[in-house]
Amino acid sequence: MINARDRLIRSLQGGLVDRPPVISPGGMMNMAIVQVMEQTGALWPEAHCNPRTMSRLALGVQRLTGMENLGVPFCMTVEAEAMGAAVTMGGLDNEPRVTGYPLTAVADWPRLQEIRTGSGRAAVVAEAVSLLAEAAAGGSELPVIANLTGPLSLATSLIEPMILFRAMGKQSQAVHDLLAFITDNLINFGRALLQAGAHVLSIADPSASGEILGPRRFAEFALPCLNRMLDELGTAYQARLVHICGQLSPIFTEIGALHTGAISIDSVTSIARLRENVPDKAVVGNVSTHLLLNGDPDRIAAAALHCLRQGVAVLAPACGISPRTPLVNLQAMARAIEVFADSEQVPLAVLEPDA
Amino acid sequence: MAVEEILERLTRGVRDMDEELAAEAAQDALANQMPALTAINDGLVRGMNEAGRLYETQEYFVPELLLCSDAMYAGLGILSPHIQRAEEESRAKVVIGVMQGDTHDIGKNLVKLMLEVDGFEVFDLGRDVTPADFVAKVKETGAELLGMSTLMSTTMDAMGVAIRMLQQEGLREQTTVMIGGGPISQAFADLIGADGYAENATGAVREARRLLASRGAAVR
Repeated sequence: MINARDRLIRSLQGGLVDRPPVISPGGMMNMAIVQVMEQTGALWPEAHCNPRTMSRLALGVQRLTGMENLGVPFCMTVEAEAMGAAVTMGGLDNEPRVTGYPLTAVADWPRLQEIRTGSGRAAVVAEAVSLLAEAAAGGSELPVIANLTGPLSLATSLIEPMILFRAMGKQSQAVHDLLAFITDNLINFGRALLQAGAHVLSIADPSASGEILGPRRFAEFALPCLNRMLDELGTAYQARLVHICGQLSPIFTEIGALHTGAISIDSVTSIARLRENVPDKAVVGNVSTHLLLNGDPDRIAAAALHCLRQGVAVLAPACGISPRTPLVNLQAMARAIEVFADSEQVPLAVLEPDA
Repeated sequence: MAVEEILERLTRGVRDMDEELAAEAAQDALANQMPALTAINDGLVRGMNEAGRLYETQEYFVPELLLCSDAMYAGLGILSPHIQRAEEESRAKVVIGVMQGDTHDIGKNLVKLMLEVDGFEVFDLGRDVTPADFVAKVKETGAELLGMSTLMSTTMDAMGVAIRMLQQEGLREQTTVMIGGGPISQAFADLIGADGYAENATGAVREARRLLASRGAAVR
């Protein structure tokens, strides 16, 4: 029988498996809900700053929801803070967020700090990853997912997005320089998390949405940075996925040019249309997080089954999950996998031991 | 210089993201004794509306729309000091902001921009705004319209809270409530009892006009 780690890795690579895995990658798409925090005693905001609390919460998410992975951190502010942004840690039911940008002009980017992977919350995440990798090695063989913020989204945490978007037209070289510096830093951080024991790389770049940038600027600014990250970290990580928010239909061609086997989408993008237009990518997604918050287990199971029947390779939430989401709803999403496997008579793949 | 030509250059300057052209054409408008408000409405605003149409048809995206607005403001900066007081009309007031817990304000800023272009007086509360702050600002300004935005499904339910607070304050009847943002839909607007929803910034302005007109509110 295939273990959870191999199942996820093969699914993200577009390979055949017995059934799709169900995951909550972490980062912006984490399932650290209040109920899980209360049951594990690992609470926000402490879990953002203490590696033991962070890993305990990640283990609790997996155990209580039934998701088939471990993932940290639980926010998108680690890199921004390390590079100089002011960040509030939020509270039990609201996530950390940026409260002050270190830059007021794109050309000032040399003032940014480098991410020091051995200190601050970058080190917290690395240590949590190593604790999780250790825990997973003890029999569960769960995949540990390292979550990085995508270059463009990180840029919008370091400077007011309106200034950044304007500069794309007026000072494009400065924007390229800023993004190159950011990308270098993300690659370093990604290497540190890999050394700590992470198996799968997830890059979430919600601000690189095709709806916001359009195809031309996505291709000019977002795509090369994402691809450089994927190239330089790609061979080291066993599998990788990229999450981009918003309607992707304007940038289907550019999505096809991403150097990743798997693309994670939110609920406004149609799975069927994405698969039709970008046939060689495994699709990760896209159970509505609003439904997870407000729906009941039956409706959530139905929505998850719909995603699976539309052909997602990996079942995952579509977007950020409210900390007030009921645990039973997340459990219903996880259980949908079994219903699907039973109902669809998925052909059992012949698994080679070295695969 | 022909009036039409100046207006066309104002329009083109904005639509084609050409700040210098917009500013130059604004100077020419003044030099040719064109009323400032004509140059603004029939030149600059027309250009911004064309930009809005290109945005809707996905030829333009957010960066382009921002560059168009820069060109518009370059022209406005030159023209607005010359608006005759009598030319100014009373404007409908809008309170706008992003829900508490959310710092994504790109969409909100676009809506604000397009509302201003269309002649609304906009009170922008920024982001991370509590329902109580929205209601307090509506009360303070006597705004006809409240616009709330969020990109995060985690914060959208606070919109319903704000609407209930408007009711408690006795302001619901006189305030048109519109909502928008990534996870928002018409169905969600109906669910929480908002008056209107729009998918994008240009749609929001049309919907705002339609809703206010249907309430018989004096607009412009």
